[in-house]
Amino acid sequence: MSGANNDKSVQEKLTDLSELVSWFQGSSFKLETALDKFKEAEALADTIEKDLTKLKNDIKVVKKKFDSEN
Amino acid sequence: MDAVLLSVSDFVDLTNQTLEYAYPVVQVEGEVAEFKVIQNKWISFKLKDDRALVSCFASVYQLRTPLENGMKVVVVAQPKLNDKGFFTLNIKAVKPVGEGSIKKGFELLKAKLEKEGLFAPERKRQLPRVPKRVGVIASTESAGYADFIKIINERWGGLQVDVAHTQVQGTPAPDQMIRAIRYFNSLEEMPEVLIIIRGGGSAEDLSTFNDEPLVRAIAESRIPTLVGVGHEVDHTLADMVSDVRAATPTNAAQILVPDRNEIIRTARAQANTVGNLLTQAIDNYSRQTKENLEAAFTRIQQKLDDTFERLGVLRVAIAQLNPENVLQRGYALLRGEQAVGATLEVETFKTIITTEVKDVRSK
Repeated sequence: MSGANNDKSVQEKLTDLSELVSWFQGSSFKLETALDKFKEAEALADTIEKDLTKLKNDIKVVKKKFDSEN
Repeated sequence: MDAVLLSVSDFVDLTNQTLEYAYPVVQVEGEVAEFKVIQNKWISFKLKDDRALVSCFASVYQLRTPLENGMKVVVVAQPKLNDKGFFTLNIKAVKPVGEGSIKKGFELLKAKLEKEGLFAPERKRQLPRVPKRVGVIASTESAGYADFIKIINERWGGLQVDVAHTQVQGTPAPDQMIRAIRYFNSLEEMPEVLIIIRGGGSAEDLSTFNDEPLVRAIAESRIPTLVGVGHEVDHTLADMVSDVRAATPTNAAQILVPDRNEIIRTARAQANTVGNLLTQAIDNYSRQTKENLEAAFTRIQQKLDDTFERLGVLRVAIAQLNPENVLQRGYALLRGEQAVGATLEVETFKTIITTEVKDVRSK
């Protein structure tokens, strides 16, 4: 699970987390698998926090000059 | 020294050479009068003050803001004597000056673009919730740009920001920004949002963002636009035509990316919700199991009670059939052969009597 999650963007992980919440609220809910899903949700929340804390923006000023047509 | 003899054409050419040498470009401030558009291609007007006036001539493409008689403007122009003997200023650029004229130019262009539907709400495109790559057009030396970068770094990470450094005020600014808009729109991999920002300034500084070609370039951008110019109270045609208007550069950053702390709080809350739902589900299952057990126990108890009740009835029935009870009521039990001379045993409740048969008759 964690391997697969590492390849995902924060947005995808947020979507996964929302889907887990929906699973708990939906008709597919099964007590037998609920504990694993709960652990998955907790792990996702942890990785989202870690990702968001460590990610930096990449700011680059483009080399092209705009003071003339060329 | 004798005066040089010239043809009329040579005189006109010489005058123009002299003017070009002495005044290659002039800036003249005055009031617009007798404004005319000729064949939708050319414009002519008189520029006047209290004492004098001069004819001005330009193509409509050089006019970046609509003009009207009475507006105060500065023209950037080349003085020229034409072949018909009229002295004119050939306009390179014209811009309104003074609060009243800037406002008038703004209102005229606003009305024109509004009529074309450029501000219509149905033209507005939504920005992606969390963009991965954005383009920024700003002066990298401005405070507005610094504010924007500070806020996006505080709020979010992992964003690729390509910045086109341009002037954001003065005559060259609109064309530089237009080139930057076209540059981003021409990229094979276009950014998901194009942000144009500038901090606060005077009405004249911000009038750059009321430039008609710039406003049209923003409207034509294939990339959704987010424009944050000046302060909350400042309204420019550039931000009116954009897909999303931000009140300030800081506000543009707030609109562009979500707050990572808020997202972390939401993710934690979602994990907690899942935990609560799990606990709730376990509670429900426990309660349901308990209720099922209780129902089963009640059913068994009921069955037992029914069985005991039936047993009681049977006991009573059996008791009634017990011979002892019959003897107790005064009856006797007779054993032996029913023949004269035979011995019979008579059992009562309390005694057993042996007797001899004397007579046997049919009833």
